[in-house]
Amino acid sequence: MSDLPQRQTDIGPPHYSKFLHPVIAKNYGKWQYHEVLSPGTMVHVSETGDKIYTVRIASPRLLSTDTIREHCAIAEKHCGGYLRFTSRNNVEFFVDAESKVAPLVKDLEAKGFLLGGIGPRISNIVHTQGWVHCHSAATDASGLVKAIMDECSEYFTTKELPNKVRLAVACCVNMCGAVHCSDIALVGVHKTPPRIDDVNVKNACEVPSTIASCPTSAISPNPATKSVKIKLEKCMYCGNCYSVCPAMPIADAKNDGIAIVVGGKVNSLRSNPKFSKLVVPWIPNNPPRWPQVTDAIKVILKAYIAGAKKHERVGEWIERIGWEGFFKETGFEFKYQHIDDFTFARETYRMASTFKWS
Amino acid sequence: MEKEEVKKIIYALVEASTGKKKLKQSDILKKVSADHGIEKDEVKAALRDLVDAGTLIFTYFGGSFIEIPPK
Amino acid sequence: MSKKYDTPMLDELEKGAFPSFVTEIKRAAAHSDMSNDLLGHTETCYKERVTHWKHGGIVGVRGYGGGVIGRYSDMPDKFPGVAHFHTVRLNSPSGFYYKADALVELCDLWDKYGSGLTNIHGSTGDLVFLGTRTENLEPFFAETSSRGWDLGGSGSALRTPSCCLGKSRCEWANIDTMAITNDITQHYQDEMHRPAFPYKFKFKVAGCACDCIASIARADMSIIGTWKGNIRVNQAEVANYAKTMNIQAEIIDMCPTGCMKLDGKELRIDNANCNRCMHCIAKMTKALRPGTEQGATLLLGSKAPIVTGALMSWVIVPFIKMEPPYEEFYELIDKIWEWWDENGKNRERIGELIERLSFPRFLKEVGLEPSPAMVKEPRRDPFFFWAEEDIER
Ligand code: HEM
Ligand code: SF4
Ligand code: SF4
Ligand code: SF4
Ligand code: SF4
Repeated sequence: MSDLPQRQTDIGPPHYSKFLHPVIAKNYGKWQYHEVLSPGTMVHVSETGDKIYTVRIASPRLLSTDTIREHCAIAEKHCGGYLRFTSRNNVEFFVDAESKVAPLVKDLEAKGFLLGGIGPRISNIVHTQGWVHCHSAATDASGLVKAIMDECSEYFTTKELPNKVRLAVACCVNMCGAVHCSDIALVGVHKTPPRIDDVNVKNACEVPSTIASCPTSAISPNPATKSVKIKLEKCMYCGNCYSVCPAMPIADAKNDGIAIVVGGKVNSLRSNPKFSKLVVPWIPNNPPRWPQVTDAIKVILKAYIAGAKKHERVGEWIERIGWEGFFKETGFEFKYQHIDDFTFARETYRMASTFKWS
Repeated sequence: MEKEEVKKIIYALVEASTGKKKLKQSDILKKVSADHGIEKDEVKAALRDLVDAGTLIFTYFGGSFIEIPPK
Repeated sequence: MSKKYDTPMLDELEKGAFPSFVTEIKRAAAHSDMSNDLLGHTETCYKERVTHWKHGGIVGVRGYGGGVIGRYSDMPDKFPGVAHFHTVRLNSPSGFYYKADALVELCDLWDKYGSGLTNIHGSTGDLVFLGTRTENLEPFFAETSSRGWDLGGSGSALRTPSCCLGKSRCEWANIDTMAITNDITQHYQDEMHRPAFPYKFKFKVAGCACDCIASIARADMSIIGTWKGNIRVNQAEVANYAKTMNIQAEIIDMCPTGCMKLDGKELRIDNANCNRCMHCIAKMTKALRPGTEQGATLLLGSKAPIVTGALMSWVIVPFIKMEPPYEEFYELIDKIWEWWDENGKNRERIGELIERLSFPRFLKEVGLEPSPAMVKEPRRDPFFFWAEEDIER
């Protein structure tokens, strides 16, 4: 490997100024307003009178180098080579004149790329790794995203909603995908604690680090087997111990599944950012298309579209009609699991007699 | 103190701890600094030499630790 | 080429309107044995409804403690191509802007040293290269770093900071999010590459309260642009909006502070009562703009629910000018990290530590003055402590 170039350390990323379209660089900080021209295109207008047109397409986030090269070829042909990715993993292309939009759109469509995601619609789903790449996963993420977006693709490409609906998928309770503040989010949940393979724990794992890995101190030494034991009532099925000790697998095909939480948001428009709240505690994994999950999401969307005022996000609509109203509108069953008994439980009990009949 | 001295102290500390308690970078900085009256920045520079040379390495077990590389 | 797997379940996920990750894996599989085995491996996960990955302890590049995540299949004999399938995180450029030639160069390198599969981007905001073997890590690092790219963070270290695109293409940005993010990333390279914290730490920078980067939910330090003074109003444009929009219903009635009213055709805002929620500005972008005295609110502490429940970041500095060289900001960050280092347990996030030791104590010890901006309401009980200097002896 002597032909390798000299490595460098602590240089950080390339400076973004190398990657800015000249019109974006020239009008940096001078933008005055923007208009959404279609679900996949918008224009930003500068104080200088310059305009930049953005065309947005969907991406599965998991991209092959071949597809990235296709994006790049289109950027080279139409946009001087400039492109970017959004924080929800869509791809954006830039052109500096309205006349250049149609040819760009034509090429993108010819390649089969899906335009959309701008405005009061469903944009791409923020998600994590799942079965494609993570050891703690209680479900797959990419497959769920694909199944849901196929069912909802009209809300990406054309139809409008009362406001944006932001979806997220996290494949285990570690929630890398930050689902706890989304309009609708799915979380993979394990229902059973890790299974301890005593012989392999003894041979392959460092017992002190395994014990230390547990956030709830549920793990203690088991002198009889020179292995460990788990205090069941303390375990919250996070899978941390399995990260440290592969002899404690947590995945369980029959008992792993998906919870749905709704009504969160991160922006401050009108009302403060909100956490998402539990509406369906568990749906079994049913790959490759998870029909019970997509059905539940459609029920939520339908109730939201029917009930929300223009500009209300899912959480704002629910707060107006009350959570009891939400369960009534969706017909979801309200179970013991819905009542909080964790850190912030007290704050969630109704300390008043003013509720609506459901 | 000479950097080479500090490096020996750090290595001895990590060696003595191996198999007992995993040390984080900040455990090492605090302990060597307190025991030998050396500025933390100096300890950090010595530790960085050891890691750059591969004499010690960072490991990850639900947190990042400094350890002697496996044989 | 290794053998072709039957993947009936994954094939099902190539149907439908939305782009398919399965198609992506298949494209890579056409020229990578690793990706080909990933197909077989993933199909097995789908059939059995469980994951087949194992976590890895010790992989990385020399001198660094982060940026690579070890990943191994638990079926290495059946799928040797994914026996090792490590993730490499690269620092992304601020704003996620790229030029085609630079991306294509990275693609060429990844085809040579890895699976040909990526995540753009990982949830951390990194450019994620998904799947390579241990012996390819050093060469890939030499090739990419010599071309100006560097690894991101993992483990008990700083993560690659990320931001909304801010002033580059958004009229609402109150701070230069991309300049700030790039500066933080460069300023703290050591903290990113050589893990020294009790646990992870993330910065995310949003130009306004729309928070397009979700900083309030997923950054230990959320930097959110805001302004002081008056919203700039263009009354001619207000009159234009009035032709197509019910301003009373859609704007004034939805203002959370009730601080707007129509005075004939003119829109009046009681700016002292505006809480800068951005609703009116976002809906009437031609007519309304943030005020001109701009800066940021700093919020601290968000994290996912593990272990003691989810937190969103809360206000610790109501207003700070975020202008180079950001001295006041860096001094505060260094103080916060020092306090975390002194007091934090392994795997304790800064937000959890503050909950454990108390927010007033945190403020006192890092030298921040209390303000009503930091709380929704004052406490409800008299169970507080006094300092020695508060007591008459
Ligand atoms: C013990 C706890 C945890 C372990 C062992 C763990 C492990 C991992 C691993 C192995 C990955 C890489 C997945 C891959 O690319 O193969 C990962 C990614 C990630 N983790 Fe964690 N994680 C833990 C906790 C958390 C928590 C609490 C959060 C956040 C709240 C988090 C956020 C993330 C994110 C955002 C990613 C990137 C996901 C993506 O790019 O799709 N992790 N984690
Ligand atoms: S959410 Fe859980 S399973 Fe998914 S990538 Fe993160 S740690 Fe892995
Ligand atoms: S799954 Fe999590 S809570 Fe349960 S024993 Fe393992 S580390 Fe502890
Ligand atoms: S967070 Fe605000 S400034 Fe940043 S892109 Fe979104 S709307 Fe614009
Ligand atoms: S920013 Fe929000 S609070 Fe302020 S005037 Fe507009 S709608 Fe009202």
